[in-house]
Amino acid sequence: MNLHAYLITSTLLFGIGLYGLLQRRSLVAMLIALELMLAAVSINVVALTTLTGHDAAIGQVVALILVGVAASETAVALSLFVAIHRASHSIDVESLSELKG
Amino acid sequence: MNWAGVVFGASAAVALLGALGAVGLKSIFHNILCFALTMFGVAGVFLSLGSDFLAVVFVLVYVGAVAIAMVYAVMLSYPLDLPPQPRNRWKIAGAALFAAVGAAAIWTVLRRVSWPPWEGRLDVSAATTGTRFLRDYVLAFELISVLLVVAMMGAMMVARRIRASGEGR
Repeated sequence: MNLHAYLITSTLLFGIGLYGLLQRRSLVAMLIALELMLAAVSINVVALTTLTGHDAAIGQVVALILVGVAASETAVALSLFVAIHRASHSIDVESLSELKG
Repeated sequence: MNWAGVVFGASAAVALLGALGAVGLKSIFHNILCFALTMFGVAGVFLSLGSDFLAVVFVLVYVGAVAIAMVYAVMLSYPLDLPPQPRNRWKIAGAALFAAVGAAAIWTVLRRVSWPPWEGRLDVSAATTGTRFLRDYVLAFELISVLLVVAMMGAMMVARRIRASGEGR
């Protein structure tokens, strides 16, 4: 497969994730959109290192590190959502205005 | 058309359709299911690149762990019985415009670079990746494990119910 097909796929996935991150109001939906953007980055890294013949192992390592970072980020974010819901009974970003000046 | 092309086309279509569902559908539960579908598609894209280990890791971590954790968080915190609020048209239009401009900018940059042509096959097997990971990139490996431990402990501390005695709230 040529490289451009992979780059188009990852760019579209990143754009969809960006749209979801900006448009959704629920914190969980925003987290899902963020994960989509991270997956697009992983596709890009792996495709670029595998299909340009530089050093494919670097792409694998970077993608695995990204998976680890995304997993820990999800764990912390979900626990924060539960704590926020306990404090304010809502995980809608537009109603979380307690710190607003 | 070879097998890698077929696998890539099918899984890229699954990934993009799943992503559209993950941000577009109204029910948060459907969003999570579509997110799991997207991650299956992304794993298929990795398979078409020959990185089978990464594909297995994606299915295990995202479909097996992250999506399940999201379902738990939704059950603990989301008012599923309430009707969803109508969406703001201006916010949808603005978000779509911004995302389109961002994706177009990324695509312009990616297309302008002339990537070196390459027709060979690189060794991306699990054995090679593991050897490189534990020999050349062992510091990153250790840092990731420390980060995971700290994140898990932090998550438990944050989500823990604070028990009375005026502490917290």
